[in-house]
Amino acid sequence: MTTPATLSVSGVQDRLRHQLATRLATARPDLARRHDLTTPAGLAAAQQDIAALSDETTTLAAVVVHHLDLPAFAVATCAYTASLDDTQQAAWRRDFTRTVFLAGNPANLRHRFTFAHTDPAAHLAYTAPGPAAATAPLRRLLKLFDAPARLPARPPTLLTIPTPPGLRPTRPPRHRRLHLATAGCTLAQALVHLNHLLAEAVMDGLITGGDRLTLIQEPTLTTAGPAFAAWRITPHPATPHHTGRLHAAAALTEETPHA
Amino acid sequence: MTTQPLAPPRPKSPEAAAPRVLIAPITITPSKPLTPSHLKGLLWTDVMYRATRHLAPVTYRYSHTTYHPTEQTLGFWEFLDRTLGDTDYTHATETEIGAHYVTFRAQTQRPTAAALRPYADAAEHGWVHPASARILQLWAGHYRRLGLTDPGLTLHQPPGLSLEDALSHLDQAGMCLDLRRYGGPVHLDLTRHGLPLRKIVTPDGRPNYLACALRELIPLAPGFDEIVLLYDPELDPDYQLIERVLTRLGPTVHRVPVGRVPIDGHIRSARHGDWQHTHAAALLDAAGDHHSDDAVRLGMRLYFIALLGPGQQQSFRPDLLHQCLTRATRLLKAADTPAGDQLPALLQRHRKDHTHIDPYRLTSALLGKRRPAPPADLLTGVFL
Repeated sequence: MTTPATLSVSGVQDRLRHQLATRLATARPDLARRHDLTTPAGLAAAQQDIAALSDETTTLAAVVVHHLDLPAFAVATCAYTASLDDTQQAAWRRDFTRTVFLAGNPANLRHRFTFAHTDPAAHLAYTAPGPAAATAPLRRLLKLFDAPARLPARPPTLLTIPTPPGLRPTRPPRHRRLHLATAGCTLAQALVHLNHLLAEAVMDGLITGGDRLTLIQEPTLTTAGPAFAAWRITPHPATPHHTGRLHAAAALTEETPHA
Repeated sequence: MTTQPLAPPRPKSPEAAAPRVLIAPITITPSKPLTPSHLKGLLWTDVMYRATRHLAPVTYRYSHTTYHPTEQTLGFWEFLDRTLGDTDYTHATETEIGAHYVTFRAQTQRPTAAALRPYADAAEHGWVHPASARILQLWAGHYRRLGLTDPGLTLHQPPGLSLEDALSHLDQAGMCLDLRRYGGPVHLDLTRHGLPLRKIVTPDGRPNYLACALRELIPLAPGFDEIVLLYDPELDPDYQLIERVLTRLGPTVHRVPVGRVPIDGHIRSARHGDWQHTHAAALLDAAGDHHSDDAVRLGMRLYFIALLGPGQQQSFRPDLLHQCLTRATRLLKAADTPAGDQLPALLQRHRKDHTHIDPYRLTSALLGKRRPAPPADLLTGVFL
């Protein structure tokens, strides 16, 4: 099947590749120096380098999930990231905010394990980013959060990011739309997408305490539409991996008025 | 989801000082001959039950109905019907049916939940596949020859809770991690006690034996002061979980792993077949050729309990079994006058800090060289 020339598929792919390269270069400037991230081949080579990193030296966070509600998860991830100090954020960022999602009940674990952040309902608990060995006992006790179900339909949902206790907002609150592509996406994948996008957006100052987000679930994201400030780019779920075709799994818009 | 109210603990009457004991061994899937490992577990349980009965009210719970919903039973039934179709099992032997079970277990493809559903539904209402009904009928015959108490092999003995009610009970106790709404499984969650999550229901709704055991034991537990769980040592992690769940409901729980019996140095699951001449019917026929019924009953207990002990180091030895049968004949001839009122005191010596009698200590005591002859009522009341 050929694509009608009027549709600018390659233009969209270029844009997605550029966003992906930006993410890699922000986290790992050394990779940007070693590979030409503006080309598909250079990007693929950089991703191979990342895949070859040793698990033992990777900095990762673990999230214990008891009950999953995506809006609550989005808020908790922002609050968690904001609670980390600069060193923790930098170490986690360098390993692409790698996170392991574990099924478990924080209420049953809090006597044995230290969590850096727990959401108000105690449905989610986050460990501080650290070496994999630091969470090994927790990971041995729990199982990976197995959530192959499709995302439940949801109307656009307004979220407010809490301001950490004792801190004053650093700027007037902003509103952005948080788009999540649902076609071909499982709940477990949605967690991964939102986690990377939001954690890195907090680190970049795009989201701060007091800000509001409208979570919008839609089958696919249209990159030609709204102006996006941050992206979660993945291989396209419906095309073979080797084609290198990319897909916007989630994205955060520039500041928008809240309707 | 509603929870069926659990039976409140029955108050102990002041005069009933003896603790109420529940003996609950793991059951054997009715799909194959009884192996030496199975015989050991059954004899071990029977001696414990019959000896403890002299000291305290004991309930022996052993329900095949409870464990029919496991995949290894339902899957076997579905496999038989799919591959053999309408078959008359009335005269089938255990080894014939067992051969099909071996073929079933060798399949790499698991049956789908949809394929098992009709069997699961029927089993909840007391239906048993004719192949398993035939096995249970044959086992009932072995039980009679071995002098084993029949705990209701062919009876419909459903567990006290539905699966959903058991999960609801666990959830209220903070012991259930139910991921079904996300397309995931259900885990038993005793991480509070440092025990790892254990999957008990698959994402498509199939319970494993642990879920089945909990359906049965959770509602029973409050009615007892002491629960004794007998099981294969390889299931120890699961039984640690069960112990935690039941202890919360009141009783003291004792885990009693009973080691398997290696054949030629190898512990093999019955799912691999290769029963040769070591299955129950063959052993009973061989023993019965040279020994009285009572000598067979006592001799089997001497061998499988006293000689093999709780561990699983020693391979099955027909020569030692034969020696035990001969020894049993001598013991029966030498039996002393009944102990009468003294029997409970005699049995008391063979327990530790619990009510139930340790079958190994009791049975080994029969073999001591300078031991007095056993009272006749000890033999008839516990071993024959």
